[in-house]
Amino acid sequence: MGGAAMNADVTFLADTALAIVRAVPVTLGLFVASAIGASLLGGGLVAALTAGLAPVRGIARGWIFLFRGTPLLLQIFMVYYGLAALGPVRQGPFWPAFRDPLFCAGLAMTCCCSAYIAEVLRGALAAIPAGQIEAALACGMGRVTRLRLIVLPQMLRLALPAYGNELVMMVKSTSLASTITVLDVTGVAQQVIAHSYRTLDVFCLAAGVYLGLTGALTALLRWAERRLDPTVSDGAGEGASR
Amino acid sequence: MTAFGIRAGLACVAALATAVLGGCRDEEGKGADRVLVVGTEGLYPPWNYTRPDGQLAGFEPDYVRILCARLHRRCRMVAMDWDGMVGALQTGKIDLIADSVQVTPERSQVLGFTRPYAMTTGVFVTLRDHRLAGMADKGAMMDFDRPGPALTAMTGRLKGSLAGKVIGVEISGAFDNFLNQTLGSGASIRYYHTMGERDLDLLNGRIDATLEDEAYMRPLLATRDGAALTMAGPRVIGGAMGGGEALAFRPGDTALRSAFDGAIAATIADGTVRRLGLKWFRMDASPAQAAAERKGAR
Amino acid sequence: MSEQDLPAFALLGFGTDGWGRVLVLGAVLTLALSLASMTIGSVLGALLAWARGSRRGWLARLATAYGVIMRGVPELLVVLLLYFGAPGLMAAVAGLFGLPAPGSPPAFLTGSLAIGLVSAAYQAEVFRGGLLAVPKGQVEAALAAGMGPWLRFRRIVLPQVLHHVLPPLGNVWQFNLKDSALVAITGLAELMRVSLVAAGSTRRPFLFFAAAMVLYLALTSLSSAVFRRIEARGSQWAGRR
Repeated sequence: MGGAAMNADVTFLADTALAIVRAVPVTLGLFVASAIGASLLGGGLVAALTAGLAPVRGIARGWIFLFRGTPLLLQIFMVYYGLAALGPVRQGPFWPAFRDPLFCAGLAMTCCCSAYIAEVLRGALAAIPAGQIEAALACGMGRVTRLRLIVLPQMLRLALPAYGNELVMMVKSTSLASTITVLDVTGVAQQVIAHSYRTLDVFCLAAGVYLGLTGALTALLRWAERRLDPTVSDGAGEGASR
Repeated sequence: MTAFGIRAGLACVAALATAVLGGCRDEEGKGADRVLVVGTEGLYPPWNYTRPDGQLAGFEPDYVRILCARLHRRCRMVAMDWDGMVGALQTGKIDLIADSVQVTPERSQVLGFTRPYAMTTGVFVTLRDHRLAGMADKGAMMDFDRPGPALTAMTGRLKGSLAGKVIGVEISGAFDNFLNQTLGSGASIRYYHTMGERDLDLLNGRIDATLEDEAYMRPLLATRDGAALTMAGPRVIGGAMGGGEALAFRPGDTALRSAFDGAIAATIADGTVRRLGLKWFRMDASPAQAAAERKGAR
Repeated sequence: MSEQDLPAFALLGFGTDGWGRVLVLGAVLTLALSLASMTIGSVLGALLAWARGSRRGWLARLATAYGVIMRGVPELLVVLLLYFGAPGLMAAVAGLFGLPAPGSPPAFLTGSLAIGLVSAAYQAEVFRGGLLAVPKGQVEAALAAGMGPWLRFRRIVLPQVLHHVLPPLGNVWQFNLKDSALVAITGLAELMRVSLVAAGSTRRPFLFFAAAMVLYLALTSLSSAVFRRIEARGSQWAGRR
């Protein structure tokens, strides 16, 4: 009898693990889409912050203030339920997109994380020595060449650690999509719990999946940081300096 | 070490809480003078809900007041989450539960139920201009306590209409279980954590229909927003959805339970329950009414 | 039941049908929840930072593992785990003492504990960074000058640690404040939950979520102003030494 109970346990855990693993593409897709969106938008915000026009700078500053000053959960509810209650959104051409909870979660995450990424990029931009820009100017480099050869490569290297932290945060934030009916890893875990009343083992399975995802991302970021570190030559002297 | 520290901390808190809860039991007087503490959720309109000013209102707060007055007992209602309510009853933090609790066999093993004071059906609700508004068996009673060829045929038609549709329900409620058992994988079920969120998505058309308690839906349909909605298809009762709403006591508290049982019988007989139902649900939710309808559907 | 026909100012007002009072109370509860979890996180975070630097290998490894797990698992999952898991845990503990199951603990307790446990992992990093920022030579010099352990801590270590720790602690506080919204799923009537309940029962989600955003913005910008003042005073103190 004990054996039968144990078998039932193993079957339940295997079924649950399978259901959770099947939801990984949803979590991963949401992360990748909003990471790309937020990075592009964040770059745009930094460009706007350094723009000559005061209203453009003001809009960028307001955007960052709004999205960094309120919880992502509230932003997700605002995009999903709040905007859907407005007639122009519901009758407008974008309703098929807004009707989809996954799109709404991605949109909210893109807007929110773009504000954090903009702050990271701005910090990196400020850390580039002014002398280098002046030297580039003195060499007669144009705006685009300056950006391509001097500013962007250094920004990338300087911003990477903090930018990587933001990406890890984003992986974790995808779990909030479950609050608006998205069946991601957390959503599936909650559904299993609501129907089986088993809490601890199901949550541990889900937590394990997230730990795997964040761990893999962290390892990837470490590798990228080493590659971009000018004091480390490729392969040979790895870990020698620092 | 830290994990152990947390455990130890939790242990202290738990021990303290248990001691405090246990000690509170007889604080408010003894015997028949004692104030009875009634647990309810306060989040399930119109059965019981919390008004913006913090007051509890609804069918059950009204009804408990009437029952206590009949029994010459002083009662005090407290709001708490359903998750902790049975535990609070067992530890004596509260004396009875009035939270539209459905009588089911599993619950009867840990709770002492009175006779039901209400019995309501589940109804499908959809937007007026939705295709599902013309679903088969409109208004017909689907009684899952009476299996037979009629029920099988209705279930088949229901599955046909809902195939490929998105049905929204509150997670782990009675209707969630029912839909899972009856529809299987035919329709896709979308889960919500509160009924308010589900209502918003029903109104903006993100879900095709919902299955909900008729007593909850009637007042909603009477509001300005609810005018866009309509009931569709059959009304469902019995089976996984339980045998009506009753008060719940500790199983050992038989004297108190039978006193309330008598008061419930009297208020059903003199029409008080019917009157309260019309006030809060816009319908007679008394068990007698449901029994008559179920008999008529035969 | 006709509250949906009320104009926006009445719905957000302080009358009997207005949600203004509830929203403000929710904001107060959000603040209390954040303060409680920040405190729990500070105590546990300091312990973790100390354990990380401990000479006992297993203790340092345990503290590191705690940090990796808490910073790698979504905060929502931690809140859900404590909310659903706590009654069972408490019942087990009560069982050890031969007492009946106490039911679920107050939502405020589980909520602040969950956010506090996450906060601790981040605060441990901050404290550790602060401790490492004190040059060893200074402590040795203080020793040589005959300073006692308390004087050494007060004069040499604490001012420098504070100087390094306050700005990132302000950051952790901001995250803490926003993470407290996750406790809404336990039903605790903090700002997020209240706005969700109001949005659902009046079916005016845009209005109430916008109101909640304004209140959160007030909380985050007010508290960052407070932190800037503390930082200014802290660096004065550090400068005086």
